[in-house]
Amino acid sequence: MSIGASTITVTPSTPTPSSETKSRFERRTPNSKMSVASDSPVHSSSSDDLAAFLETELDSDSDSSSESFPIEQAHDADAQVSNHRLKRQKLEYPEDETENVASLAFSGEISEASSSKVPCEHPGTFGNMCFVCGQKVEVTGVSFGYIHKGFKLQQDEVTRLRDIDMKALQSQRKLCLVLDLDHTLLNSTVLRDLKPEEEYLKSHTHSLQDVSGGDIFMLEFMHMMTKLRPFVHSFLKEASKMFVMYIYTMGDRPYARQMAKLLDPKGEYFGERIISRDDGTVKHQKSLDVVLGQEKAVLILDDTENAWPGHKDNLIVIERYHFFASSCKQFDHRFQSLSQLKSDESEPDGVLSAVLKVLKQTHSLFFQDGGEDLSSRDVRSLLKQVRKEILKGCKIVFSRVFPTKCQAEDHPLWRVAEGLGATCATEVDASVTHVVAMDVGTEKVRWAIREKKFVVHRGWIDAANYLWKKQPEENFGLEQLKKQGTDDVTVEK
Amino acid sequence: MFFHMVLERNMQLHPRFFGRSLRENLVSKLMKDVEGTISGRHGFVLAVTGIESIGKGLIRDGTPFVTFPVKYRCVVFRPFEGEVLEAVVTTVMQHGFFAEAGPLQLFVSNHEMQDGMEYQAGDIPNYTSSDASVRIQKDCEVLLKITTVSVVATEIFCLGSIKGKYLGLLNDRA
Repeated sequence: MSIGASTITVTPSTPTPSSETKSRFERRTPNSKMSVASDSPVHSSSSDDLAAFLETELDSDSDSSSESFPIEQAHDADAQVSNHRLKRQKLEYPEDETENVASLAFSGEISEASSSKVPCEHPGTFGNMCFVCGQKVEVTGVSFGYIHKGFKLQQDEVTRLRDIDMKALQSQRKLCLVLDLDHTLLNSTVLRDLKPEEEYLKSHTHSLQDVSGGDIFMLEFMHMMTKLRPFVHSFLKEASKMFVMYIYTMGDRPYARQMAKLLDPKGEYFGERIISRDDGTVKHQKSLDVVLGQEKAVLILDDTENAWPGHKDNLIVIERYHFFASSCKQFDHRFQSLSQLKSDESEPDGVLSAVLKVLKQTHSLFFQDGGEDLSSRDVRSLLKQVRKEILKGCKIVFSRVFPTKCQAEDHPLWRVAEGLGATCATEVDASVTHVVAMDVGTEKVRWAIREKKFVVHRGWIDAANYLWKKQPEENFGLEQLKKQGTDDVTVEK
Repeated sequence: MFFHMVLERNMQLHPRFFGRSLRENLVSKLMKDVEGTISGRHGFVLAVTGIESIGKGLIRDGTPFVTFPVKYRCVVFRPFEGEVLEAVVTTVMQHGFFAEAGPLQLFVSNHEMQDGMEYQAGDIPNYTSSDASVRIQKDCEVLLKITTVSVVATEIFCLGSIKGKYLGLLNDRA
């Protein structure tokens, strides 16, 4: 089929009638119509001429904008070189090793021609090739399996991306939020583990076709039932205005993606940012190394503190959501789960709502004053600041809470109380406001009752920690302790 | 590129499958073992179309298993450098986009795109040309040329390029 030059506006390098090029390609096998590269009749097919031409063309300064002709020719010469390599490769096809060598040479050609001779820094790999230049390089770097299988980025590249991301986020006035799934935003159970008193839930499940209104779903194909935490839809909607959100779960990838479909059917909150345990770098641990955001701008919401060994300062620990009985059993709790009690967390007053307030507070602190110098702000110190507001002004003495052998100041509860902004002391004096005890019979407690100070059990501090708000002391009196006799902290309002 | 070729494989069969349906068992085991796998030399084995021959079975010493050399015809798909393919874009990133052509995963780096193409971040990340006439985003079809093929332990990864005449966006998402 001939393409006449008159019918199409072409430059001299258009494909010509096959007769002229047959000599060059007659040794090719019929399967090889792969070369899109154009064959120009202007240049002869001898390689000496070609080499000479290439030299002259690449040496001279060609103005890319004005004349198309020299560029076309240069491209064309390029194509001819690649034709050449292709042809050589074709003939050597049966032998695999030479093919690999030829492919390296081929891709070398491509990279040289296209990247104007800047050496490639190999920012990352796809398979075992640098994805920029195609050379086979050693595979090091952080694996970003959740973006695509086989995709890895070098540490320098990750840092560079984080910096770019930081600037983009600042201009949008957003920070990063990493969310856990299980017991934080939802609670899942295997169908096998459903107790008889939970069977009523099967009739209350919402349709999977339209998940926007629902919160309890039956996933037959995964043998699971999932309950979303109350307030989660509003939480995600509000949080997405202030944060770019990631999911980071210890479930596997299909589970993570399915849950993301329930929480975010339109894909607008999380997009592709769904990290599962298959994508983590260290087993059984979570880390921010696969999150493309700077550490000082990332907040984490998780129910398990120990999952984040390196990032405790970024972490907001949330109270676990136990809806199903199997979930309580998993943590060896003896109390009844919410499904057994046929109740649920309060939506406007629940845990997620409290956490959302904290997120809003931290976010506004970060972006307040609208200053340009946001690079000095660190979300971790701001979080500490917010936390210290909770029990500000309280002075706490502990009575029979700590084992006598240990240093009081080192006890975790002391630390938590100090983190919440309270001052802790070992001896009573007039400025003390609260006595935390586990038993009514102690000296300190009797002193406190005499002096009309608050007497609470340690649940008061824990509740303040989880709910980010000072709790009414009446709910945590010692009589409560005797009544419950459990180690659970349930807030009664 | 697709090929329809004859491959050979030694199939081990447990005696419980012997009997009248020995050949059927052998064929179904072959199909289960081979279809969907990747061979470094031949690429993706897509479908077994027929059996050429089944050789004499040899009993392996010390075990009851019998090994049959089976020659079978199958359709394979193997990418080559320089091959031009249609692919569907799956993920778009700052560095380039990922696309897939059937079972084959490809990556096109932003260096291998036409000069005007810029990455646009956002809800739907995409690559847009300078005159906004071409926009490449998820689920678009593109015509691309394979520049490098790499086989890493039964996985095949390819790099591609849309820098060239007639390459690039074919259709908008349906």
